Amino acid sequence: MAKTILVVDDAASVRQVVGIALKGAGYDVIEACDGKDGLSKLNGQKIHLIISDVNMPNMDGITFVKELKQLPAYKFTPVIMLTTESQEGKKQEGQAAGAKAWVVKPFQPAQMLAAVSKLILP
Amino acid sequence: MSFDDQMRDALKTFVIESLELLQDMEDGLLGLEDDPEPSERINAIFRAAHTIKGSSGLFGLDHIVAFTHVVESVLDTLRDGKLSVSPELVAILLPCCDHMIELIQAVADGNVSTNPSMTNAERQLLDGLESFLKPEPKQVVTTVQQAGEQFEASGGGVIDSGNWHLFIQFGENCLRDGMDPLSFIRYLATLGEIMSLTTFSHAMPDAESMDPESSYLGFEIVLKSDADKATIEAVFDFVRDGSYIHILPLEDKIPYYVELINSLGEDNSQLGELLLKSGVITQRELQEGLNVQQAQVPQPNTRLGEILVDQQVVQQPLVNAALEKQQQIKDNKARENQTIRVDAERLDKLIDVIGELVISGAGVNLRALQTSDSALLEATSEMMRLVEEVRDGALQLRMVAIGATFSRFQRVVRDVGKELGKDISLVITGGDTEVDKSVVEKIGDPLMHLVRNAMDHGIESAEVRAARGKSSRGELRLNAYHESGSIAIEVSDDGGGLDRDRILAKAIEKGLVQPDAKLSDQEIYSLIFEPGFSTASQISNLSGRGVGMDVVKRNVTDLRGDIEVESRPGQGSTIRIRLPLTLAIIDGFLVGVGKSSYVIPLDRVVECLELSGDLNDRDYMDLRGEVLPFIRLRNLFNIRGDQPRRPNVVVVHAAGVKTGLVVDRLIGEFQTVIKPLGKLFGHVEGLGGSTILGSGEVALILDVPVLVSAFEHKLQGNMHLAQA
Repeated sequence: MAKTILVVDDAASVRQVVGIALKGAGYDVIEACDGKDGLSKLNGQKIHLIISDVNMPNMDGITFVKELKQLPAYKFTPVIMLTTESQEGKKQEGQAAGAKAWVVKPFQPAQMLAAVSKLILP
Repeated sequence: MSFDDQMRDALKTFVIESLELLQDMEDGLLGLEDDPEPSERINAIFRAAHTIKGSSGLFGLDHIVAFTHVVESVLDTLRDGKLSVSPELVAILLPCCDHMIELIQAVADGNVSTNPSMTNAERQLLDGLESFLKPEPKQVVTTVQQAGEQFEASGGGVIDSGNWHLFIQFGENCLRDGMDPLSFIRYLATLGEIMSLTTFSHAMPDAESMDPESSYLGFEIVLKSDADKATIEAVFDFVRDGSYIHILPLEDKIPYYVELINSLGEDNSQLGELLLKSGVITQRELQEGLNVQQAQVPQPNTRLGEILVDQQVVQQPLVNAALEKQQQIKDNKARENQTIRVDAERLDKLIDVIGELVISGAGVNLRALQTSDSALLEATSEMMRLVEEVRDGALQLRMVAIGATFSRFQRVVRDVGKELGKDISLVITGGDTEVDKSVVEKIGDPLMHLVRNAMDHGIESAEVRAARGKSSRGELRLNAYHESGSIAIEVSDDGGGLDRDRILAKAIEKGLVQPDAKLSDQEIYSLIFEPGFSTASQISNLSGRGVGMDVVKRNVTDLRGDIEVESRPGQGSTIRIRLPLTLAIIDGFLVGVGKSSYVIPLDRVVECLELSGDLNDRDYMDLRGEVLPFIRLRNLFNIRGDQPRRPNVVVVHAAGVKTGLVVDRLIGEFQTVIKPLGKLFGHVEGLGGSTILGSGEVALILDVPVLVSAFEHKLQGNMHLAQA
């Protein structure tokens, strides 16, 4: 059965392209437009990996990861943060919150796939 | 829906989303100054720029990323409170917003790369933005470092035993963080082949104290891979904290790396740089080593090499090899000091003076010959020999290798290739061929045009190439070599070659040749150098406006060179420029008219003959069945006195046409030191300079092509007058 990845980003185009790349590589993809939406999309189902942006309206990525790690079912779910070169501080914050993996924006779809395949097997 | 359709769809979303964000950004900016609590507003503006930057990167729109990055940086400093809202700031950000809209619109219209007409405006905006960033160190544009920039760490060769030795002890918390060691090792296997893997379990505690959520295992892996160390290290980026990871070249690969270190360039003599370039350590390992060195109290006293060996990131023999290389570079640097740099102006002055020396030497020689003092004759002939040697030596000083000029084109080919969407490689040969400095200075522009032209019109698009069974990557060659006293420079491509029929049709259409003219292939190809000629049906930014090849030709002719084309249909074409090695001294042919002497460049002279039965009433003669028009230098330069009974004709060629020059006397070959004419004579057509003869007399050097074309114009003018 295909593994499921939750993509949380406020930019629809990012979700769309990341979605195309991940689906092309054989993953199932769920999309959410911010942290709050991300939490509500979990629904207790098995999620194998989460990709989340940092800067988002309503609930930002860091808060989202902190809340996520409080949920027993998702405590060990790996999280990839989408950071930028200029946000070294945010990256540290994200790692402290439990998002140990990251991809630096702007990225190419292939770079995203490489980061994903380091963490889970399709 | 195909992948391409999906992406097109996604791009549409991107355009709509970005335009909306930019509208928000503009609204935010407009209200910014009046807002007593602007932080939320600033956040929203920042987020818009940030999102656009991130999304455009995903679509490979690098020019948008680059521009937006600067806007974002300014907004970031604003958000951090390091910059305050001011009318000036808003005044620069609003046009930036407009520019981004333009960029996005262009994408929507299908222009996914930079538009040159926008770059000027963009430059100004960027300059404006930079001024707000000044107090802050400039941030580097965020691009992901390509592995290709690293030195190729492990090259070819048959490597069966593997080439990297990895020791990995994953951090105890890695499982809790969602990091599965197995999946990292699997990912590692995508870089190459895992030759052996040994698992260490000695860190595993007793069953009762073991935490099933902790990771205790260590691995020793032998990997066979072409990837460099930095790439392998990057596999473990996400688990580096808390983990013990060491990557070393295998012991039996050490000689290979020693050789690699020895073959490195000599631009860097730092130990760390040498190890980094050879790929045995990574940037991160070097930085850590340096940090350790810096942290030593009271002052750094351990050498970097020892620290690196101590940290097990590199083996001792490799450090030794790098140290040896370092010494070698230092020695070479010391040797380099034996060459000196000389101001070009001083060198030119020296050449001038030597030119004078040659002339006055010839004068002395002439006077000596008029005496019969054998001791004086011997002394002057010895002096003449030395003067010649000095002259040759001095001209040699001005010779520079053409390689530097050629290598500038690497960048041009890359950039233009990108602009044209063609994958083209540049192969340079003969870069060490030497040519006079002044020639090198003047050949850059014509070469630039030829290169661009070859890339634009010569090399076909990837699809056409594939259809013709060629590799999709086009090849452009720059070559130079010496050929009997001149230098030949070739620009060749492996494109479609020149289209003979199309050139001919175009030339007839433009009235350059008669429809019934019988022309050889060579003659047809050289039509591309005619003014106003261009076969490209579409005008591109690079070439194709029809002002190019004729300018190239004129530049080359000005350098007293010539240009020719060779073409093999379907296989490519070569344009060859031949130039004299030096512009300071030429081989001339000395002739006399009345009491004056003139020098005709020897390479223009075809033959000499006697003008028999001259009636002084016509300007042409019969040269073995051909009509040979001639110019009487006596009339042209208004020289008084009687014409000798048997004048001579020097037949010269210019632009493929033969013309005769009628002179009184033929004197012979003459080493001519060219002296430029003063500004006063700037308007005189047909004279290329002057020289001074051994006798001290001045002789004028004829500029044959100009002389001939001026004469032709005058002739045509006369005919029009006659008709009127």
